[in-house]
Amino acid sequence: MLELLNAWFIAPFDYGFMRRAVVGGLALSLAAPPLGVFLVLRGMSLIGDAMAHAILPGVAIGFLLAGFSLPIMSIGGVMFGLLVALLAGAVSKMGGQREDAAMASFFIISLAAGVMLISLGGSSVDLTHVLFGSILAVNSTALVLIAGISTLIVVILAVVFRALVVECLDPLFLRGQSRRNGWVHSVFLGLLVLNLTAGFQTLGTLMAVGLMMLPATAARFWSKRLEGLIGIAVVLAMVASTGGLLLSFHLDIPSGPSIILLAGAGYFFSALFGRYHSLAAKLRRKTAPLSAEAST
Amino acid sequence: MSQHALSHLTLRNLHLAQGRRTVLEHLDGEFKPGAITALIGANGAGKSTLIQAIMGELRPISGTVSCTIASERRAWLPQQLALDLTFPMSVEELVMTGTWPSHGALKGYCAAHYRRGRDIMARLGISHLAHRPLGELSGGQRQRALIGRTLMQEAELLLLDEPFANVDSDTVDILIRILRQMADNGVTIIIVLHDMDHLRRLADEVLMLNGGHGRWVAPSALAHSQAPAQVVPFTLGGQHVGTA
Repeated sequence: MLELLNAWFIAPFDYGFMRRAVVGGLALSLAAPPLGVFLVLRGMSLIGDAMAHAILPGVAIGFLLAGFSLPIMSIGGVMFGLLVALLAGAVSKMGGQREDAAMASFFIISLAAGVMLISLGGSSVDLTHVLFGSILAVNSTALVLIAGISTLIVVILAVVFRALVVECLDPLFLRGQSRRNGWVHSVFLGLLVLNLTAGFQTLGTLMAVGLMMLPATAARFWSKRLEGLIGIAVVLAMVASTGGLLLSFHLDIPSGPSIILLAGAGYFFSALFGRYHSLAAKLRRKTAPLSAEAST
Repeated sequence: MSQHALSHLTLRNLHLAQGRRTVLEHLDGEFKPGAITALIGANGAGKSTLIQAIMGELRPISGTVSCTIASERRAWLPQQLALDLTFPMSVEELVMTGTWPSHGALKGYCAAHYRRGRDIMARLGISHLAHRPLGELSGGQRQRALIGRTLMQEAELLLLDEPFANVDSDTVDILIRILRQMADNGVTIIIVLHDMDHLRRLADEVLMLNGGHGRWVAPSALAHSQAPAQVVPFTLGGQHVGTA
């Protein structure tokens, strides 16, 4: 038994790349889910997806210039992601089009451009790496970068937390307070882009958003409080990223999808058995007596 | 009441439009501190447009809105509030966001602020709901919590758009009392009303919007109207203005 445990959970970490990948995954799991929680609460769940596509051309340009260098690709990704966010904001302001419509247009253009760029300069293997991640590629530089970005995100989130909450709840109130409060939204989009660029190395550009959204959507079935949502989402993400890496190691499957599928399994489980709004909760509610309902 | 005080909010020859459509023209008026002004008029008469202009959300075509009250002391409670009711936040936390003008995004709350928050909730009769999530409140409870936020904010200008819609009569009584207290403390209050009964109980002044123009009417002139509440804004335009 112990041997089996050792073989499954301890032995894989004899390999340096697994150690680096798991630390990177845990760092991302601290930073990504809180952003996801805010995205879900703002009704912007799909914006994360859009931004994940939007960073791709930047990553591709970085790749063409410097090969598989995470810092260069990340800088490209951040620049391009912010550019797309700015453009989408500008288009929605001038044309009366909603921001999500502008975003939807930009992200599909970005995806096509990114795939085209990588295909021009590299092979299909490179394309797979960028889109779906590769834990083997996480070297020490990459790890420092991922940890650094995650730390930065957590710190900035802590600082702007109240502003984010107020903006999510009642944007009109915040806007009424001061015309300068538009920065909250921009900072939030900036954090989103930063997080996605940190995540694409292990998870790939297309999968990075999963570690952000799935724990957040799953947490909605377990808590009604903001602190609870964030805490549960972080724990879920940590379990999913570590478990997913182990699965990917043992079964020889790609790391990104296995992490995200594990998080997805957590989501389905929560939807079925969670405390609130889940299938089980609905069934329980039908049989609960009046007195129990009054006490909730 | 401080009737002699200079008004903090003055409209001069105001011309407002939504897109290319003129909504209000030649609108003048002074809103006195300590007075509750009811804004009445049919749907589409320009009540929301005027509120937008006062809040600085809409630029006038010509004329001026001069307001000496700092923007963070202006509170606006829209009718269909952009408030996300699924947001995981308690009543107390909502009331505490009213500290934004003094605390902004960074400064921490201290015990005194929590005490003030609790006093405010007690005045509004929502102390027992302090830790209740917003999503579980009734319309009346939500409206009280929102007024709690404006009290916390120490608003000097309060604009309310039909605050008594979907609200129980107990809440109406409490809110009317609180609004009167706020006015007595020198707050300028503008309130969109449809119900004659509420208008009679609350309004010191009435600004009636009709056909693109605003007319100041004495509340007493309206009080005798027997017209049904919903029709009042329409019929008044023709009947009572001459006498007012």
